[in-house]
Amino acid sequence: MSLTDLMSMAKPNLAAKDKILQKIGDRALINCFQCMRCTSGCTALKLLELKPSEIEKLASFGFVDELASSDIIWTCVTCLKCAQRCPQKASPYHVIIALRNLAVEREAKVPEGFLKAVSQILETGLAEALQKVVSRKMEAFDREGLGMPKVNLPRESFQAAFMKAMEEKIG
Amino acid sequence: MKVSVFWGCRILTSQYAYEMSVREVFPKLGVKLVDLDENNCCGDPVKSVNDFAANYLAMRVLALANATGLENLLVPCNRCHFVISGAKAVVERDEKYGEKVFSLLKEEGLAYNPNVRIWHVIDFLHDFVGLNNVKKVVQKPLRNLKLATHVGCQIIRYTDLGRVDDAENPRKLDDLVNALGAETVDYAEKLDCCGAALLLSHPDSAFSLAGTKLNVVQGLGVDGLVVSCPDCGLIYDAKQKDAATTVGAKLNLPVVYYTQLFGLSLGIAQEKLGLNLNQSPVDKLLSKVSP
Repeated sequence: MSLTDLMSMAKPNLAAKDKILQKIGDRALINCFQCMRCTSGCTALKLLELKPSEIEKLASFGFVDELASSDIIWTCVTCLKCAQRCPQKASPYHVIIALRNLAVEREAKVPEGFLKAVSQILETGLAEALQKVVSRKMEAFDREGLGMPKVNLPRESFQAAFMKAMEEKIG
Repeated sequence: MKVSVFWGCRILTSQYAYEMSVREVFPKLGVKLVDLDENNCCGDPVKSVNDFAANYLAMRVLALANATGLENLLVPCNRCHFVISGAKAVVERDEKYGEKVFSLLKEEGLAYNPNVRIWHVIDFLHDFVGLNNVKKVVQKPLRNLKLATHVGCQIIRYTDLGRVDDAENPRKLDDLVNALGAETVDYAEKLDCCGAALLLSHPDSAFSLAGTKLNVVQGLGVDGLVVSCPDCGLIYDAKQKDAATTVGAKLNLPVVYYTQLFGLSLGIAQEKLGLNLNQSPVDKLLSKVSP
């Protein structure tokens, strides 16, 4: 779904834009002059048609609702080339993270992997479960079998503190 | 000297070879690693869900490092290194934001200390231990090996956070490989991302990115690819077959962690370095290393 189609009937939402601006702090997307350095080096451009410069422009126009509900913000591979190379310090990476947070807050369609990681953290403190690995000779090992120390997991009070942190809203 | 270490989820739960090889190599340099009393996720996958909660998690790691009383914290994972460095920058720039995080930490009796220095394996070895000291401990120089390096994204970008190496021309990993006696090659795709972060949302694209780069590196005629990030290690090594299928290429490129290579040059037994766990055909590379 291309963003141009999405926005053809759209109205800007300036309040939501302010939220995004506030969220990204001193990285002012307002300074973007569409030099396209971000898009020309974007890892997700070729395969997934992510154009960070387009995200910047649409966000500064206030088409935040369309962006937050679009699949396109989930294609960023977070290689940080745009954050590095933007001459205006308007880092599309930071805008995309803020838009993802807004999408979660609005309960838009969010890739399952991210939410699964959060519930795993709530459960154990780690984003992933301990796995058994297989050697090239097809022997299975866990940490103990490899002579590795046990993993120290967080104390009980962690869960409540993390849940409190998750209540923080964008903007 | 003692250094605290935060491994991060990917290493602790599956990339055991990286952890094993770091645990073997560092003591040989006179560095004693002290594990944190607790390990929580650094916040990386949480950043996309709730940036504040992610920064809280990262700061909790720094507070746990502070609790060890040690000044230096080793973070061998690129993504953890970035997320923790980013959180540190936010709380130090924005006082109100910092206070919110600190009060959450305080509830658990934890406190942040801005003086704890964050290191990755690469800059710790290159800058703190020093190339000359690395060269000095090498017992079996890896003279027969010609290797390509893959630094990964998040330890070199973005510079404002203070990164491990130069963003556009990183040399430290190459220097470190050369210090072991092996040759390295430059190639145009060196800065290309491995794609592993897309495994959460677009696995086919992740494999496509990984496979494309692996195919290029294989075409260089090198003995292997050296990585220093558990995400890059996961997709290039453990998932190499998936990457090959996705791009329709025949891939059989040995992929090793830098610390595994270092361990070999120190004469450490292969199994202690987890070299039996690599899924890529590392035997080809190992046959060129004198036993």
